[in-house]
Amino acid sequence: MGKLLYERPIITPLQAGISNKFGTRTEYLPKTHIDHVAVKEIIEKYGSPAYVFSERQIRNNYRNIKRTFDTRYPKVQFAWSYKTNYLNAICNIYHQEGSWAEVVSGFEYQKAIGNGVPGNKILFNGPDKTDDDLRLAVNNDSPIHIDHLDELYRLTEIARSMDKKPRVAIRVNMDTGIYPMWDRFGFNYENGQAWEAINKIMANDVLDLIGLHAHIGTFMLSPGAYGIAATKLSDLALGIKKQYGNSISYIDLGGGFPSKNTLKGSFLPGTDSVPEISEFAEAITTAILSAGFNKDELPYLYLETGRAMIDDAGYLIGSVISNKRLSDGRRATIIDFGVNTLFTAFWYDHKITPAQKFGLHTENTVIYGPLCMNIDVIRENVSLPPLNAGDQVVVHFVGAYNFTQSMQFITLRPAVVLINMQDKPVLIREKESIDAVTQYEILPENLKSFKL
Amino acid sequence: MLQIYGNGFLNSYSQVFFSNNKTLAILLFLVTFLNPVSGLSGAIAIIIGQILARGFNFSQVLISDGTYTYNSLMVGVGMGVIYDPSMAYLVVLIVFSIITFFLSVWLSHFFSLKKLPFLSIPFLLAMWLVLLGGDSFSSLQLSSRQIWFLGFNSTGLINQVAEFVGTLPFPDVLHLYLRSLGAILFQYNDLAGIIIVIAILISSRMALVLSFFGFLIGYLFYLNFEGDFSQLVYSYIGFNFILTGIALGGFFIVPSRKSYLLLIVVIPVIAFLISGFYSLFTVFQLPLYSLPFNIVVLLVLYTFGLRTSSKGLNLVTLQQFSPEKNYYKHLLGKMRFGTETYYHLSLPVLGEWYISQGANGKITHKGEWKEALDFDIRDDSGKTFRGSGAELSDYYCYDIPVVAPAHGTIIKIDDGIEDNVVGNVNLEYNWGNTVIIKHGEGFFTKLSHLKKGSIKYNEGDFVQQGDILAHCGSSGRSPEPHLHFQVQTQPYIGAPTLKYPIAYYLVKEKNTFAMKEFAYPKEGETIRNVEVNSLLKKAYNFIPGQSINVSVAKSGEKPTEEVWKVNTNLYNQSYFYSPENGARAYFINRGQVFLFTDYSGKTNTALYAFYICSQKILLGSYKDVELNDQLPVSPFFNKLLLLLQDFAAPFYQFLGVNFHSKIVFIDNDHSPREIQIETGEEAIAGKRILNLRKGKITIGKKGIKSFEITNPRKKTTLSCAFRF
Repeated sequence: MGKLLYERPIITPLQAGISNKFGTRTEYLPKTHIDHVAVKEIIEKYGSPAYVFSERQIRNNYRNIKRTFDTRYPKVQFAWSYKTNYLNAICNIYHQEGSWAEVVSGFEYQKAIGNGVPGNKILFNGPDKTDDDLRLAVNNDSPIHIDHLDELYRLTEIARSMDKKPRVAIRVNMDTGIYPMWDRFGFNYENGQAWEAINKIMANDVLDLIGLHAHIGTFMLSPGAYGIAATKLSDLALGIKKQYGNSISYIDLGGGFPSKNTLKGSFLPGTDSVPEISEFAEAITTAILSAGFNKDELPYLYLETGRAMIDDAGYLIGSVISNKRLSDGRRATIIDFGVNTLFTAFWYDHKITPAQKFGLHTENTVIYGPLCMNIDVIRENVSLPPLNAGDQVVVHFVGAYNFTQSMQFITLRPAVVLINMQDKPVLIREKESIDAVTQYEILPENLKSFKL
Repeated sequence: MLQIYGNGFLNSYSQVFFSNNKTLAILLFLVTFLNPVSGLSGAIAIIIGQILARGFNFSQVLISDGTYTYNSLMVGVGMGVIYDPSMAYLVVLIVFSIITFFLSVWLSHFFSLKKLPFLSIPFLLAMWLVLLGGDSFSSLQLSSRQIWFLGFNSTGLINQVAEFVGTLPFPDVLHLYLRSLGAILFQYNDLAGIIIVIAILISSRMALVLSFFGFLIGYLFYLNFEGDFSQLVYSYIGFNFILTGIALGGFFIVPSRKSYLLLIVVIPVIAFLISGFYSLFTVFQLPLYSLPFNIVVLLVLYTFGLRTSSKGLNLVTLQQFSPEKNYYKHLLGKMRFGTETYYHLSLPVLGEWYISQGANGKITHKGEWKEALDFDIRDDSGKTFRGSGAELSDYYCYDIPVVAPAHGTIIKIDDGIEDNVVGNVNLEYNWGNTVIIKHGEGFFTKLSHLKKGSIKYNEGDFVQQGDILAHCGSSGRSPEPHLHFQVQTQPYIGAPTLKYPIAYYLVKEKNTFAMKEFAYPKEGETIRNVEVNSLLKKAYNFIPGQSINVSVAKSGEKPTEEVWKVNTNLYNQSYFYSPENGARAYFINRGQVFLFTDYSGKTNTALYAFYICSQKILLGSYKDVELNDQLPVSPFFNKLLLLLQDFAAPFYQFLGVNFHSKIVFIDNDHSPREIQIETGEEAIAGKRILNLRKGKITIGKKGIKSFEITNPRKKTTLSCAFRF
């Protein structure tokens, strides 16, 4: 028998008669290890806080989702959504698994090229592509997903001037019965804009229309909406076949599949309320298969799934700085990462677990980050066992968007560690130093010195 | 016009020796003129037959084949030997030519209804009639020329040669063989025999071997059983052995070791027929001629035609007029299409599945149900489930769609059986929820253990290949979710299985796939259907009536323009036809695979180059997946090797041409504008590669752009661009 735990005393209001089916315990166990590597060990080696990714989980996720679609529809291709997480190591795991790249800016495009993705396997999305970006994409034969008419005109001009026939898709937005409707990207289906754009492309014969793209929203909880989107895109594709005799070679349904995170304000935790990925797969594939395509001319199904593929493979680990009691008597714990490192704290009630053993008792706690800003709240209210300064915590489901949206604000960005297939931690991004902030600064001559 | 009758005339000669070879025909023509009256009579008889055929508007194909007139030739030649030339003889010759023609027309139709040849029956009937009736007309003078050596009073060089040949120190059997060979054309001498031997050697090596083999068996039979050799010497009746040897050894039956064995059985029967009928026919003073040959060949062919399976000895289905051609066609057909089946089944799943139990499996595929397949889905570590595997929904294949393997009508559905808790089995309804599809009479497929309530059709519905039928479940005798698939000949649930191949599918190998054609998925394989690529599909979609303009450039020659026509014949065979050189290349588009089946015409044409480099093409865009096939050997080897192969063929095949093709370049995996296919044609003798050609086909948005075939040893290239 090991040494008995010491727990500092807490005051718990007596809740006689009102029983909660969970009692007052936290519903989870301590998370001492990630893929058999001790959290403590990672922090000792790479500092606190640190992002940690599990290669095994990433590969498992990809294979499971791929299989889920592949066995329902014969022609499926995934493209890794760079904006979700464009750490090169992470991207290349997906590329190794067979995923293409989906980028939404010139800089992401460069990153994909830098990773060695062949140009014709980079889908170029987004409303802001510069002329230079477009020229590069045309030269590399990347499928360009046109977002608006101005881009269509510009690309037509560029293609003419380069005497090339770029492969393009158009992005379509539509009413799929969900609110809010994402109508700011692409051409609308219901009011005929999409057809108009298609007609323009087909009429001038400068661009090669090979795909149709829709991305109906993010963290979508309704598989049926994807079914509607797939039906509408199929309808467009069949219309093009009928009108112009051209077969559309792919239908891209974007991403937006939810992870098992818990959205703020939802009643049940995400693990219980979020639909399985197979339900989305079933809705999409059934819609395309029953749309009326000739069996030999089924379009490829492209998916740009980001969040659902990586969220649960990413962790943020950190340490407790201090505990304090607020004026209203609530317990507050200050930890060493803030909302600039855990951006998704604004959207989700993240699951947070201590990284060491704890006892029976828990207490409602506010978790604050280290920033000297009032907005820096990680969890407004979470039932946690008492933590001591220097203890470690693990935040779950942080793989998507957190690293890409993190920034140097008051603190610098932490190290990123990947636990590889051999369960060994490897550094994939160093902890930032002051240079990360100052290297691009230019100090005019007259401002270089001062006397105080 | 002239060509048809010219061919018809010559073929009348070569048909006598089961051929359509022109050199053979000309030499035989000369042999008949060793007796000028006989030779002339034969030619006249043919011409009369042809005039009648034209007057009655008979099939030009049959006229050109000489089918109506080869019996006339023999009657003419025969009469020319018997009678002296006179006006009366000429009239009788014309009358009997007409009779022979009518007999030929009648008997050819009569026998063709039974799918049998009419051989020389018209000749037999006509000749016997001549001999029986000839005596009654005294203006017909019996010829005395038969007593001279060559059948006419000649003291010239030819006669000397003939006499010299007759005294050559050949063994008796050879003399007898040569004279018997000559006797077929009523030339009972060695010289005629030798010329015919040379003629047959030029037209068909196998026929020569067979002719001697047949004769030798008959000879040895007579020798060993102390037969009456006077029968063999009188009118050299042994030619029946020769004709039977060629006919059954390689003309009507595909040459093989077994066809040679057949001759050993059949030729003695002829010997008995000869001696049996000999006694009978001497009563009427009639010669037997080829009666024993006719009887035996018809008897054997009739019997063989009634067999229910053609294992062992194969009848020649499409006559090539040469034993070796029959043999090579059959061999190639067997190698290329021997495993093909009438119904083309695809896998009943989408995406990659795993064969968890194959035919003769350890668990349940035993006894009457041994030819079934079980499918499930596995991850890289070989597990069928995620998590703990305690729930059905943990299993990768649970609730995944299963599809129809071919077109057909759903004739039986069982639904409403609960999916088992993992680990449990339902032995009462052991097949679980099941769909049976009828694809044709006595041909059904069955999919079992489906998820309760997932069947999307009703009994009587027609489904297309690839339609989603239901979802994979775990009902019936199924401890964990999987799909059971079987082919059966009865429409009942629980019927025994039938071994039947899957037409085309891919087996996963390390980083790529292996293409399987008409094969049987094996336990432990990860398999998937072939997905057709629209660019390749379009490129190889040739429509009857289409004209294709190509420009051809051979190395060292000026580019030329050609037009190929895509046609379909009466038998629904599609082919390219090149009016410039008359070449035809027959093809089939199987959906997943395009292939050429046959080629006729010269082998230095652009169409031939296209035929060999597009011999078999996968229509899915799978890079580096190789397809293999065999090509006809003759254009790839020199004459000497081919000659040796002809002699050895039915016993040992040492020449072969291997074909392979694979996609080497795709500019864009899913919406390609350009695909390049590399092909190779390797001529192999034994184990050595003797000759090599490399092909390259480039496919663009509008179809095949160009192809190129090079011979690296000779450094010659033929390239061909398609114009749209």
